[in-house]
Amino acid sequence: MIDHPHDRVADGQAVPAIAADHLSKWYGQVIGLNDVSVSVPSGVTGLLGPNGAGKSTFMKLMTGQLKPSKGAITVLGEPIWENPGLFFRIGFCPEQDAFYERMTGLEWVSALVRLNGFAEDDARATASRAIEAVDLTEAANKKIGAYSKGMRQRVKMAQALAHDPELLILDEPLAGMDPIMRRRTIRMIRDWGRAGKTIIVSSHILHEIESMTSNILLINQGRILAEGNVHQIRDLIDDHPHTIYVRADETRALAREFLGYDDVLSLRFEDNAVVVQTGRPDAFYARLTDLAASGAAGAIHEVTSPDDNLQAVFQYLVRT
Amino acid sequence: MPIHDQGYRRYSGGKTRGRGWTVIARNGIRSFLGKKAFLGLMLLSWFPFFVRAVQIYAAANLPQAAFLAPKAETFRQFLDQQEIFVFFVTVYIGAGLIANDRRANALQIYLSKPLTRAEYVFGKLAILMTFLLLVTWVPAILLLLTQIAFAGSLTFIKNNAFLLPAITVFAFVQAAVVAATMLALSSLSNSSRYVGILYAAVLFFTQAIYGVVYAVTRSTAMSWISLSADLTQVGDVIFRLPPKYDTPSVVSFMVIVAVTAGSALILDRRIRGVEVIR
Amino acid sequence: MRSQRTPALVPSAMRIFDLSLGQMLWSRRSVFLGVLLGGPVLLALGLRVISALYLSGFRINGAMAGGATIFGMMIWLLYLRFIVPVLGVFYGTALIADEVEDKTITYLFTRPIPRRAVLVGKYFAYLVCTSLLILPSVVLVYFLIVPIGDGSIGAAFPSLVKDLGMLVVGLAAYGAVFALVGTRLKRPLVAGLVFAFGWEPGVMFFPGYLRRATVAYYLQALVTHEMPQDSAVSVLLQVFREVPDVLTSLASLGLITVAALWVAGRSVEQREYVLDQ
Repeated sequence: MIDHPHDRVADGQAVPAIAADHLSKWYGQVIGLNDVSVSVPSGVTGLLGPNGAGKSTFMKLMTGQLKPSKGAITVLGEPIWENPGLFFRIGFCPEQDAFYERMTGLEWVSALVRLNGFAEDDARATASRAIEAVDLTEAANKKIGAYSKGMRQRVKMAQALAHDPELLILDEPLAGMDPIMRRRTIRMIRDWGRAGKTIIVSSHILHEIESMTSNILLINQGRILAEGNVHQIRDLIDDHPHTIYVRADETRALAREFLGYDDVLSLRFEDNAVVVQTGRPDAFYARLTDLAASGAAGAIHEVTSPDDNLQAVFQYLVRT
Repeated sequence: MPIHDQGYRRYSGGKTRGRGWTVIARNGIRSFLGKKAFLGLMLLSWFPFFVRAVQIYAAANLPQAAFLAPKAETFRQFLDQQEIFVFFVTVYIGAGLIANDRRANALQIYLSKPLTRAEYVFGKLAILMTFLLLVTWVPAILLLLTQIAFAGSLTFIKNNAFLLPAITVFAFVQAAVVAATMLALSSLSNSSRYVGILYAAVLFFTQAIYGVVYAVTRSTAMSWISLSADLTQVGDVIFRLPPKYDTPSVVSFMVIVAVTAGSALILDRRIRGVEVIR
Repeated sequence: MRSQRTPALVPSAMRIFDLSLGQMLWSRRSVFLGVLLGGPVLLALGLRVISALYLSGFRINGAMAGGATIFGMMIWLLYLRFIVPVLGVFYGTALIADEVEDKTITYLFTRPIPRRAVLVGKYFAYLVCTSLLILPSVVLVYFLIVPIGDGSIGAAFPSLVKDLGMLVVGLAAYGAVFALVGTRLKRPLVAGLVFAFGWEPGVMFFPGYLRRATVAYYLQALVTHEMPQDSAVSVLLQVFREVPDVLTSLASLGLITVAALWVAGRSVEQREYVLDQ
């Protein structure tokens, strides 16, 4: 268990942010979550799973939108279902892209903050601060309908953190963001975690979660596959080589560079591309970025990885 | 060269133009036929047919029930009675036909395919008209055939030869006008609920306004205000019956044409691939 | 153990009311309905012009009808039988359903407010919004129609006040009933239309207690004007008509409103809303 300066304590024991006890949820014949027993500690925790794994179901159970079919779930030490008072301490950023489109960003966040009991002026000031925190001040008075995808994600995050909650639950917060915005958001989440908030972030992209936290909950087909420190999971994965496809102008020059890396296990050529197998994809990506920036091996047009998704990781984990 | 290229190749075969609407229609019809609640509504809408069929059987086989023998008006009355089902089927199916596509931003996807706006609209129209004809034209024609079958002779149909074209023309006119109106309203919003109430409002409100005018003036000359009254008037003319209202049939017909033309105009303006939000 | 700060229903509902009223009033739907409510005003204007220019009044069933009688007819035929139920169906069924369809319900249900406050707040926003739409329409029609045939605006004024009150009570009752329908059924609009334009008119023909399972039965008792005989249906209805007293009607409508809202609120609290991804 990771000690956190803001761990809640009850009877000398740290109270987990989320505690699920034999938690199951089904929709008719479809099992969304299958007998999950897990404690999510304070700090930043990444909830990882491929699409359809049960992440959103778990998040909906955490936020009291769904009632458990079996078992129990407590949030900050209390049951969440039919307990709206808990939401003074919780901020939720849902996955769906839905807003009151004709309101401006500031109006929308202010209106939602008012529901937390703030007076009108206070709500507006609080909303302004939240909008500033997500770097949306310039667009605050524009209608949300005119926002780009990244701006919409940010205004969603603003409404989640405006009332300064202890616990932030973020469902796929980076979806649809461009790379620069992704990096900024990851940095924000890390900063909030350092400031003492407990944050649960869901994603299906491992290296994004890795850059936010080292504490991970892996979920697949409604079951928890693994939980704990990401390096432990990474060590398992590093035994399994990653395939990376790089399309470039000077493939031979690129290949020459790659052969100098000790983690490159093999490479082959395809049409205007080099396909590499590496045992340390993070190190490889870092070096590739430097190579692309320097232009030493010509222009690089495309980098993709058929392996760099959790499905491949899970398949590997399930096989071992 | 014996070995063919196994990579991606552009399709260079023939393409059939102008059939896109059939794909839309087919998929739409199939999706509604999969809904139990809707099938229940359709089943209910055929209940008057069975009642009439029993009436025709009784009239043909029981001398005491000869007074129940069908006349040309019987088929007109049957179509009149089906109006309530026409309303509910129109609201159930028609309200979301375009509104749901607008909500899901699917119009952009449709119109980015080799599909014209006209094909899109015709496809949607075909879905609604199919079901409307299933509750009007099909049971009415079947009723006619039932009459022939139970009577065991063609005398009735020979004496009322106009019935077949009359039923067909009226059913198609009614279906086309109602479907066009509903589609136009559906294109105005992305909420099927709003469209449904809008349609109900247009229909019942014009009826209510006419009701007030009639109550005050005791004259049916202003029945053209009500869309359903216009359809009734045109129906009476098609079936060669004395018109129910004092409104000249030409006026009722012109109102129907105007409503249909207005609907086409609205659809022309609203079915677009992009929408600009200011 | 529950959070110490349990949010209260009334202040939470007021906040939802604030949020929803502006959205409802200035939405395109309300603008359209406002335009629709201009229809009776235009009709009243037309009747007034016709009466002033061509006739000195209107004859109904052979007798000269004053403006107050025509106004009463319009209250029955337009507002009571059509506009009030339609507004109730339209807004009432959409209170929660609109938020679910737009997928914005998540934001409201993850705030520290009781779920039922969302329904109650939106209900009161609906009541204010529809009252603001319908009352000016009725007042304008009143001032246009009542002077026909030398009718007195002053003399008929008390009945206008009663009519306005009756319409608000009708909006409240229908709104609550259709809010309940909206929280329980998947396709509340069709059910609402069947109730308002199928069940209610139809069941009035049946003697006995069946008609008490309608809002119209109690609401019609509050109307100070005579029911118009605009069709055979209306004549038949008058034959079967049995009218409860005003106090019973008000109490029953109040009970229907409160009970429907309570059950709808309970339904919203216990229901799981699974949004399409």
